[in-house]
Amino acid sequence: MPKIEVDSRAFFEFVGRRLEGDQFEQILTVAKAELDSSEDPVLKIELNDTNRPDLWSTAGLARQLRIYLTGAIPKYRFFSTPEERLDFSGRTIEVDPNLREIRPYIAGFAVAGKSLDEAELKDLIQTQEKLCWNYGRKRQSIAMGVYRHESMKYPVHYRAAHPDNTNFVPLGMDRPLSLRKILSEHPKGRDFGWIVEGFDAFPFLTDDTGDVLSFPPVINSAKLGAVEVGDTDLFIELTGTDIDSLLTATSIVACDLADSGFTILPVATRYSYDTKYGREIIAPFYFQRPISVDVDYGSRLLGLEFTTEEAVAAVAKMGCRAKAEGKKISVTVPEYRNDFLHAVDVVEDMMMGRGLGAFEPIQPGDFTVGRLTEIEVLARRVKNTMVGLGYQEMIFNYLGSRKDYVERMRTSGEELVRIANPMSENYEYVRSSIIPELLGAEAVSANAAYPHSIFEVGKVSRLDPGDTNGTVTRDYLGFLHSDRSADFNSVRSHVAVLFYYLSIEHMMRESEDPRFITGRCAEVFVANERVGVVGEVHPQVLENWGIQMPCSVCELDLTIFL
Amino acid sequence: MNVDIGAEVKHLHPLEIRVLRWAAGAADNSKREVELRTEILISSLAFNVGQCNQVFSWLTAKGLVEEKERMQRTFYELTERGREFQEVGTPYERLAKTVRERGPLALTEIAAELELDNKDIGSAFGLMSKEGVVAMDGEKRVTLKLPDLSPHIRTIRALLDRAAQQGAIEESSLTASELEILQSVSKKRGAGSAPFRVAEREEVAYRMTAEGLELARRVEEQGLTGEEIGALTPAMLASGEWKGKAFRRYNIQTPPARLIIGRRNPYAEYLQWVKDKLVSLGFEEFDGPLVETEFWNGDALFMPQFHSARDIHDVYYVAAPERATEIEQPWLDRVAEAHENGGDTGSRGWGYSFDRDFTRKLILRSQGTVLSAKQLPKAKIPGKYFGIVRCFRYDQVDATHGADFYQTEGIVLGEDVNLRTLLGLLKMFAEEVAGATEVKYVPGYFPFTEPSIEVHIKHPDLGWFELGGSGIFRPEVTRPLGIEVPVLAWGLGIDRMALLHLGLSDLRELFTGNIENVRQRKRK
Repeated sequence: MPKIEVDSRAFFEFVGRRLEGDQFEQILTVAKAELDSSEDPVLKIELNDTNRPDLWSTAGLARQLRIYLTGAIPKYRFFSTPEERLDFSGRTIEVDPNLREIRPYIAGFAVAGKSLDEAELKDLIQTQEKLCWNYGRKRQSIAMGVYRHESMKYPVHYRAAHPDNTNFVPLGMDRPLSLRKILSEHPKGRDFGWIVEGFDAFPFLTDDTGDVLSFPPVINSAKLGAVEVGDTDLFIELTGTDIDSLLTATSIVACDLADSGFTILPVATRYSYDTKYGREIIAPFYFQRPISVDVDYGSRLLGLEFTTEEAVAAVAKMGCRAKAEGKKISVTVPEYRNDFLHAVDVVEDMMMGRGLGAFEPIQPGDFTVGRLTEIEVLARRVKNTMVGLGYQEMIFNYLGSRKDYVERMRTSGEELVRIANPMSENYEYVRSSIIPELLGAEAVSANAAYPHSIFEVGKVSRLDPGDTNGTVTRDYLGFLHSDRSADFNSVRSHVAVLFYYLSIEHMMRESEDPRFITGRCAEVFVANERVGVVGEVHPQVLENWGIQMPCSVCELDLTIFL
Repeated sequence: MNVDIGAEVKHLHPLEIRVLRWAAGAADNSKREVELRTEILISSLAFNVGQCNQVFSWLTAKGLVEEKERMQRTFYELTERGREFQEVGTPYERLAKTVRERGPLALTEIAAELELDNKDIGSAFGLMSKEGVVAMDGEKRVTLKLPDLSPHIRTIRALLDRAAQQGAIEESSLTASELEILQSVSKKRGAGSAPFRVAEREEVAYRMTAEGLELARRVEEQGLTGEEIGALTPAMLASGEWKGKAFRRYNIQTPPARLIIGRRNPYAEYLQWVKDKLVSLGFEEFDGPLVETEFWNGDALFMPQFHSARDIHDVYYVAAPERATEIEQPWLDRVAEAHENGGDTGSRGWGYSFDRDFTRKLILRSQGTVLSAKQLPKAKIPGKYFGIVRCFRYDQVDATHGADFYQTEGIVLGEDVNLRTLLGLLKMFAEEVAGATEVKYVPGYFPFTEPSIEVHIKHPDLGWFELGGSGIFRPEVTRPLGIEVPVLAWGLGIDRMALLHLGLSDLRELFTGNIENVRQRKRK
């Protein structure tokens, strides 16, 4: 979840009033935001809604709070729509047809009329980072560049360039590098090169004179792409793979800059291929359709009667213009939002606009019968018997290493479920047996007074080609007895007690198992089905674990007893 | 030394009582300082050396006697051979007994009969014939000459018995003739064949302290004898021997011995308590496998396949097989449609092309909500379900993150459930499960619920914290899985309370293999 830093002076200026303490924290919940820390003049704020990237900037978060507090919904007049095209005064971006399969979409606009101050520049950089990282999936679906506008010549060209024959001086360096070299030699190339490295041509952005703007989504040029405090005319572009989120992100940045006092100058993008909004799109572009919501549906879901007027008033506090249409309301989605997938998303804004405090908790009324799973009931019986036998219950982690599960145990490990992307080799496998965990506990417990009697009831998982998921999960009981006289017979009698009280007949068949001493190991059978193993642990296994006390163990598959 | 006479008198050992009683008598008789030595206790109270050592150490520790002086003493102790002589008889006694019972026998026959060396029988015969007890007849057979053993031999027997009973014989307690005989059967440094060894030891003389004498007086006053019954035995009960006797008082304040018992793990008990609580609120438990598919873990919950929480760095993938062979229909088609264009859910969907290969990818379940989703197609209406299940996250293991951990999750289905019943449910959890004194609701965000609510509670010990997340499942989650009614979904973070219950601060401790730590752990 994104966390942003805002300058409190600028922030409360946007909000229109200063807010403090509980009142501030309370109002932040309207934006699902939490004050993380505040160190004057910087406020650190965490935003929990990953579908509301419009809240991830000083101006955007302040806008939501301002609307909620004043009820005044801003009107932005620089949006083109499918029906209404604004004048773009010859500012165009021409798109190379070869980009269609590489990085097909670009949108841009220019700003003028004011000089960029330090707080605004910092905020613009932060917006770019949060939008592109969290909303743009680490620049994969959205990347953004900001440039000095005054020396640029239109049309801007968005091209598919040859990685080796195209050179420019990237921001942060002082000599030209080929696009391919940037991937290996520039820090941003190493961070974001993976997005384009599989293609034969790379996205490349220049103005009409050939001056380089950037190599999207990797790095700006040193010449046009270095923006500083005091700049007054800026060009902003975003490239990406998903046109709706790209246009939404573009709108967010435009609204933020408009709130800061900049004039927004539209720019047209011309494609040589079709997009869902045609071959020429003038940005900022508003593509949302009104959503119609049955107010009764909202009332039922929220458990509180809303009139259409009340519903309209509630969503207005969240920035949505709405009008009543019979028992429904028709909601106009704000320019900077794209989080209305379903009527239920409007219902949430009805809740937020009304305020959660208006909803009195009530007890769920339906009668239902509570019940434990069968395995839980069985596990409790088994645990009681184990406690009666003097065993201490343990709880172990389910992940472990090849060393513990295979090498120390002298097993093949062929049934183990291995993790493809382990965080460390200590947690690379899902356990298929509790025995290694029991021996692991014994290995760190030589200081505890003997005898040691420990057990666990828990899950194990193993490969099983017969299952659609290729694996099965079982509920196992494992127990270990460790003492000078902890031989096969000591544990064998505990097994007998357990089966007696489970009222199940069992049988032992001698078996060969490298984990155990030959002749002191048996498989346990119930009605000809193998349910487990009991044995005196082989001294080589004990040595592998660094254990200096005889151990006998048993492991039973409880799933079979259900 | 400060002695609480009243308390001490109750906790005296029988040996102490006997010494104190003797000391009280001695004090009355002599009106002088009462001296105590090992030898005195042996002769007056029939103690053995071990008992003397014990009683002196107890009495000194309690300040009832104090050391007066130390002196060198010579003791005669039994050797291994001496103990054997004392128990089965000296060669003299055994030789005489054999001849008395069997009539005249040759020395070799006697040696064979008694399983003794010829040499030993020979030397016994030598002494006995010198004493006139036995003689050799014409056929070289041993015959008895006297009805009894000689005084010399009888003295050896007496000394053996005395040494066995007292533990050692102090030299000054011997008469001259006894000493002479004893020296003849002793070897310094306890040579193997001699029944006695000589030991030089330091002996301590003690005197009664004022407190000791006072306590001795009380012992007499209260009529304690040291003959009180210690352990009550089945034999005493059978014979009635206990009747009319007093029982020795035990020191109730003695620290009890540590016992190691079989017991439940307190973390498991806590989880069990939460389960029972939820069952009592009408919830039915669900459970499922550790290995799941992307389909159930994310897609069925309407999390778009490009969602940031579904990156390779957030879930664990199974290495082989990489994918499930199939995903159950019709759920696959319906969920895919919901993602692509909303299907019949009333949603516009996420508007991307659903990846049917990715959805089969096998993972370790990363959230308990998987089981809530899987429960939907088979759920009863109305219905309440929960699970406390192990989940796996791609996280660096530290005090607040485990490689695997328990999540507590559930759902409530019903025609009439709504936001307000969700708040009521959360309030019930806050009060019943978490013992909260105050509850606060905050709008939250979860990809699969709308609206979403976080519940924060004020706990008597932990203060304000987030107890859990919840919401009403999005129609894009429920309708593809065949559910037309609203479904409340909730999850509770109970680990903080579990840690509090156990007095711990590190989640890793909950899963420790350290047996001693687990043995000592208990609920606060």
